[in-house]
Amino acid sequence: MNSDSMARLAALMTRPYKYLRLEWNAELSALRVRTFVKPIQCYSLAGLTEMQRVLDDIAATPGLVRHLVLTSDVTGVFNFGGDLSLFVLLIRARDIESLRMYGRRCVDLVWWLENASSRGVHTTVLVQGDTLGGGLESVMPFHKVIFERSAQAGFPEVLFNLFPGMGAWNFVIRKSGFSVANEMILSGRLYTADQLFRRQLVDVVVEDGEGEAAIDAVIQSVNPRLRGTLAALEGRRMASPITYETLMTIVDKWTETALELTDRDLRLMERLARAQVRKAGGASDGAVAELKRIELDTAWGEERTGITEWAAL
Amino acid sequence: MLPFFADLVGRTDEARREFETHPVVLDAVANGMSIERYRKLLLELYHVVWHFNPVCAAAASRMPDTHRDVRYFLYEHMHEESGHEVWVMNDLEAVGVSVAATRAHAASPDTLALNGYNYWSADRRHPCSVLGMLYTLEVLASVYGGTFAAAIRESLMLDGERGISFIGSHATMDAEHMVTLREVLNTITDDAARDAVTEATLLNFHHITRIFGAV
Repeated sequence: MNSDSMARLAALMTRPYKYLRLEWNAELSALRVRTFVKPIQCYSLAGLTEMQRVLDDIAATPGLVRHLVLTSDVTGVFNFGGDLSLFVLLIRARDIESLRMYGRRCVDLVWWLENASSRGVHTTVLVQGDTLGGGLESVMPFHKVIFERSAQAGFPEVLFNLFPGMGAWNFVIRKSGFSVANEMILSGRLYTADQLFRRQLVDVVVEDGEGEAAIDAVIQSVNPRLRGTLAALEGRRMASPITYETLMTIVDKWTETALELTDRDLRLMERLARAQVRKAGGASDGAVAELKRIELDTAWGEERTGITEWAAL
Repeated sequence: MLPFFADLVGRTDEARREFETHPVVLDAVANGMSIERYRKLLLELYHVVWHFNPVCAAAASRMPDTHRDVRYFLYEHMHEESGHEVWVMNDLEAVGVSVAATRAHAASPDTLALNGYNYWSADRRHPCSVLGMLYTLEVLASVYGGTFAAAIRESLMLDGERGISFIGSHATMDAEHMVTLREVLNTITDDAARDAVTEATLLNFHHITRIFGAV
């Protein structure tokens, strides 16, 4: 590594991050990014800014980072996705510019990951807890997706009349096809790690506590044939292209749809935000438990009375 | 140039989330509050609401003609907010605090600091800073007010809007106010006014977080 690269690495590692912890493995040129966004592990504006800064730093020095690994330092949560309280604020203020800016920043993040192979970076993500909406979207572009068995994930947006607009359609269709994308995005259901593995959205499922070993195994197996692997992944992108323009068109549609949410939709969003806060406050249940209650309410309510709690909101 | 509302949201997002982060706020939004703590909070809020219109008036009287839209906005806003301290007193009565006790209550140092800053900033810093106070209070009401009111109603087993009329009604009302406030904020293009609004927002979030933390 030359002195310029050394200086850039030092700058990358010593930035004063509030929501990220970085670790560097010089032998493998592997950068490990651990996220711990307070108070809720989600894509807040500040969290997005820090993540984008890391990615920009990597891009500024080609060849410096060969492996990028993303994990969460928050027990039981990988990422809850969008910052729901920020959405409520912007939607209530009818602030389409800020909503669009937020959505586009999320797309920029997944677009960087989509292009990681062209930058000479192999990407691996380990999911050890709940990951919802934008959290799951951010996982999809990684080259290797590892889930521990108890992790759960889904796209609940449709439950409050929205849809995941930051790459979910593009990446799920590419990995699993139209029918799986339809099923997952239009149902709002939650899926276990095994269910996601069967749908080919997850590459590796390991027992709880074995995620770290799985990361090591992935890097050790890819590293000796990194150039060939990255070239093959580039070929894969060419075979099934995702374009920045399509991602931006979809996120603009997401923005317009978000502005149409009614008070009832926002109250359901707030119910989920409240459940997220409950989990951040140390409760054992959180947004995932709340989503299950909403699913049960819907199923039982429709069957027995025709009135769902959702409809009653 | 980014519209000022969008810029303000970004520049003050961490302060908003600092409010969310506070353990008392986390617990209150998730589980409500004991009646003693809710009384203490309402008593502090009474002083904030009671000084709201005088702060707006102080700012309006000092507003330069270059910001006449802001001055007119303040006139209308003061009219709408007039008498809302009575709602707080009614809620306090519903949870067992008499009007006389409310009027006799001495504000905490954090509340005095909040009100003191808002008067000083309108007077000495920049009259547009009052919009930082409005932005903070309306974010709190429209984003957290609904869930907080619901949590209080559940934890204290209150009936309907009784005891939560101020917080509950502002959650809905301030959603409409947010749209107007965004439009007014987007008329501000000069850096001095923008910086004053941003500083006031940060200070208001800071002091209100401390007020919640102390109850």
